[in-house]
Amino acid sequence: MNFELEDIKAYIETGILELYVLGDVSPAEKLQVEEMAAKHPAIKAELDEIERSMELYAQKNAVEPSEQLRSKILESIIPGAAKSEEAAANSVAPKDNIISMPSPNIFRFYKYAFAACLALLLVSIVALVSLYHKLQDSNTQIASLQLDKQRFANTVSLKDGELQVLQDASFKFLKLQGTVHAPAALVTVAWSPVRKKVWIDMHSIKMPENDKDHQYQLWALVAGKPVDLGVFDANPDSTDMKEMKSIASADAFAVTLEPRGGSASPTMDEMMVLGKF
Amino acid sequence: MLALRNRDKTGIEALYDMYSASLYGVIARIITDTPTAEDVLQETFVKIWNSFSSYNTEKGRLFTWMVNIARNMAIDKIRSKDFKNQNKNQDLENNVNSIDEQRNTVYKPELLGIKDLVETLKPEQKSILDLVYFKGFTHVEAAEELGIPLGTIKTRLRMAIQQLRKHFN
Repeated sequence: MNFELEDIKAYIETGILELYVLGDVSPAEKLQVEEMAAKHPAIKAELDEIERSMELYAQKNAVEPSEQLRSKILESIIPGAAKSEEAAANSVAPKDNIISMPSPNIFRFYKYAFAACLALLLVSIVALVSLYHKLQDSNTQIASLQLDKQRFANTVSLKDGELQVLQDASFKFLKLQGTVHAPAALVTVAWSPVRKKVWIDMHSIKMPENDKDHQYQLWALVAGKPVDLGVFDANPDSTDMKEMKSIASADAFAVTLEPRGGSASPTMDEMMVLGKF
Repeated sequence: MLALRNRDKTGIEALYDMYSASLYGVIARIITDTPTAEDVLQETFVKIWNSFSSYNTEKGRLFTWMVNIARNMAIDKIRSKDFKNQNKNQDLENNVNSIDEQRNTVYKPELLGIKDLVETLKPEQKSILDLVYFKGFTHVEAAEELGIPLGTIKTRLRMAIQQLRKHFN
């Protein structure tokens, strides 16, 4: 008996029981330990002590798995069990949330980020379309402004010409007075023999308005013969000076009413005004 | 226990609630990758459930049987081909400590005593115990890893566990 106790003590001292508990023994050793434990209560008690302390050690080093894992694992073992589990888990929801929050949060973040991107895209498209329209409006305005500018430039060059006429001392101004056909008629002609230029001042013209089929024609009388100086219209809108065909010398100027485009020789019956130097 | 033998739902629930954290503590120290460790915990419980009939109360405590299943499954996983491919080659000893640091917030309040527990173990005792218990090393592998004779390993392991016994009593 005594000898046997010594044996048991020595067996315990080898550390084989600890390795057995740690699962670090060969199948043969495992069988041997189990036989010894069955035979000797002291070994069985020792084993139990070792197991107990290792279990406590494991508890001290426990790591709580995530809450979702519980229902997932139970569901995989007994399908349908998780439903009641989830109900149970919901009743302790606050604790549950601490662990389960992060992943849904990230998902929600991406969801919102995506929505924000879409909204931004829509706003950008609307802004782009309205900007495009504004650009087109601006382009039309620029075109019309350019047209205006062109017109003004034309007017200015025309006025320049008029100004030259007025400033040029070589120009002579002649008032052609109305004949019997139009006693009230009056046409002012500016003529420069030096420059061989003839202008009509449309601004001061006083003539009955001509119709579509007729035009007034200016003639110069050179040594008793009429010379065509071009046609013009008498309408109240014209305010500028009109340059006519050039001529170097003239005794008199006259205006007749002729068919539109003018005639080769004046219709003397329709002579409206006449002026002599 | 009876519920487990009858394959009752409440049995596995109770088993999970009692032991999942302790088992996961072992698995998570062997496998640092959380999704993989969670997979192993699931496989472990499935295996416990399916082979529960092979557990014999005469042969020892339930937790001892379960933790050996969990450790073996974790080691099988870590040594499997596809896991090795994504192995992070962390230093094993540091691993245990870094896991403890990472998981600090998960510890239950009543486990605050872990500090003085660690102090009761001498560093060389703790490193051997953790290598075998939490890293799944055999004592032969631990001897090679630490460059210590087998006999010394066995003695230190035994001393460590005796220290724990004293501490828990």
